[in-house]
Amino acid sequence: MAQEIIAPLDGKVVQLHIRTGDKVEEDEEILVIEAMKMETPIFVPCDGTVTEIRVKEGDQVAENDVLAVIDEEHIEV
Amino acid sequence: MKPYFEKMTEFGHALKKGRIKSTEENLNSIKKIEENVADEMNRVKLAGFPEEKINARGQMTVWQRLEYLVDPGTWCPLHTLYNPMNNEEGTTNVIDGVGKISGKWAVIIGFDNKVMAGAWLPGQSENILRVTDLSKRLNIPLVWLVNCSGAKLTEQEKFYANRRGAGTPFFRHAELEQMGIPVLAGIYGTNPAGGGYQSISPTILFAHKDCNIAVGGVGIVSGMAPKGEFNLESAEGIIERAKQSRAKPPGSVNVHYDETGFFRYVFEDETGVLDGLKDYMKDMPAYHPKFFRVTEPKEPRFPIDDLYRLIPLNPKRVYDFDEVLARVVDSSEHMEFRPDYGPEVYTGLCKIDGFPVGCVGNRQQYLGRNYPEYADYPGMGGKLFRQGLIKMNEFVTLCGRDRIPMVWLQDSSGLDVGDAAEKAELLGLAQGLVYSIQQTDVPMMLLLLRKGTASAHYLMGGPTANRHNAFTLGTAASEIYVMHGETAAVATYSRRLVKEKEAGRPLEPVIEKMNKLAKDYHDKSRPLFCAKNGLVDEIVPLCDLRKYLLAFIGAAYQNPKSICPQHHMILPRIIKG
Repeated sequence: MAQEIIAPLDGKVVQLHIRTGDKVEEDEEILVIEAMKMETPIFVPCDGTVTEIRVKEGDQVAENDVLAVIDEEHIEV
Repeated sequence: MKPYFEKMTEFGHALKKGRIKSTEENLNSIKKIEENVADEMNRVKLAGFPEEKINARGQMTVWQRLEYLVDPGTWCPLHTLYNPMNNEEGTTNVIDGVGKISGKWAVIIGFDNKVMAGAWLPGQSENILRVTDLSKRLNIPLVWLVNCSGAKLTEQEKFYANRRGAGTPFFRHAELEQMGIPVLAGIYGTNPAGGGYQSISPTILFAHKDCNIAVGGVGIVSGMAPKGEFNLESAEGIIERAKQSRAKPPGSVNVHYDETGFFRYVFEDETGVLDGLKDYMKDMPAYHPKFFRVTEPKEPRFPIDDLYRLIPLNPKRVYDFDEVLARVVDSSEHMEFRPDYGPEVYTGLCKIDGFPVGCVGNRQQYLGRNYPEYADYPGMGGKLFRQGLIKMNEFVTLCGRDRIPMVWLQDSSGLDVGDAAEKAELLGLAQGLVYSIQQTDVPMMLLLLRKGTASAHYLMGGPTANRHNAFTLGTAASEIYVMHGETAAVATYSRRLVKEKEAGRPLEPVIEKMNKLAKDYHDKSRPLFCAKNGLVDEIVPLCDLRKYLLAFIGAAYQNPKSICPQHHMILPRIIKG
């Protein structure tokens, strides 16, 4: 299932740690948004694979913008 | 009050594997700073003569005395790196901290007999006054290990006199005694002049057989009556008198046990003195912990080492304060006070070692478009706004009313500024918080998690609240300054930049000054600087923070000056509604 990573606030993307196709783990930091002199790290909500990145370093983003999409890893039980 | 305290609301979450992966560098960076701090502390411990040399004289070092005296696992050192006058010895020459003796908390301090036989050094009286203040604030015994050769005479002008000079602790000892706080002293070695008053001013004196205490020592007895200059004849006279006095120094046990009776006890062995102190400590005034506990003590549900991953070393980095708090309080449970109001500030009741404690901290996250409610800009945590200030005023007042000790966990960049903030009364509310703290009478401690900045450092239980702040701890991430160095550089040089630009002159010289100022701010706000200059009372590894909290809260509840019956407390009822 695709999980969209949403910007929690307006700001500038100052660090981007992922590339499309990367495997990520739940609660891993994937990028950082700078706003109001502070850096807000963005964490992924689940294990999965990065299928889409919609921002690059230096981009201004608005609250609720989609930053990236993660294809959630399904674990067979 | 079981319904309130036995099972409170759980908070916090276990770290996930992704967070652990992302925070490895932060963990390593903090540990590296902690190792650096530990190295500096070890340097202080090794100051002066080596242990073997002191032991060869039949004496224990102050560190060995402390180890023998203090209950294992309870020693929480303070002021280890404090050296505000930059003494070449690298120390103020007193070693102090909080620890248990015979199961009871005490403030403990001793002269380092490895360094100039425990001489007075510059900055030492300020160190001692911090210690006497701590004993007064916590209302617990002060235990001295006296071994003081008197003043370092070549630097006497730096500490002998003045309002908070080397004689002031004697008045503080008298003050403690008048307040009913006992000062116990184990006395070793030669203690002339200032050392004599260090020895005589405590309440009960436990003497080692070879010690002496005196108004004046050998040096003064053999060298009084100035004649304007020294010559060969006077030098020969000095030698003769010194030999006589050295053979029998004034104020020995023969005089002050047998004749004056100043020494209550005399012991053959060094350890005997310490055993005497231990025996007395059993009888010092103290409530049994069950008198004040609201539940059985429990460890937090999450490992304290998580703090190395939760507190970013980067001061600009946002983090979740609640997760930090959940690593240090019992069972990771709390009762949050007004969670829907003033979101930039956490206020809540927690438990430490089964005792109730009021906790206040700075939440760091983005606060949304509609907060602060008085402005057309969004707020970011770490700053203080109108609601947070009102909430802290209320919480402090209620903790004072219910006699609940407080722990402040500070990480603030200051108050909101600008006309909107002025109209929202932030200046008045901030000083209102000072007033609220001042009108309480409960011990407080400050844990400076990261930034201590602007007036927020004062307001949130900082050491400037020195009648209330028992002690302030820093971490590897702590930094203290009136404002960030780059902000200061802009404030200082912005007009100069404009002038130079308008005059058509190059900007580089001004820019160079700005960078220099910013670097200076950085260098003078680091943990080691803060510890050396007393801006914090100790830099503590994150993994030891709970240990200090246990010491603070145990000491605060050992013999409080005032009691609120648990069933009369109003704060838990207000939280429950």
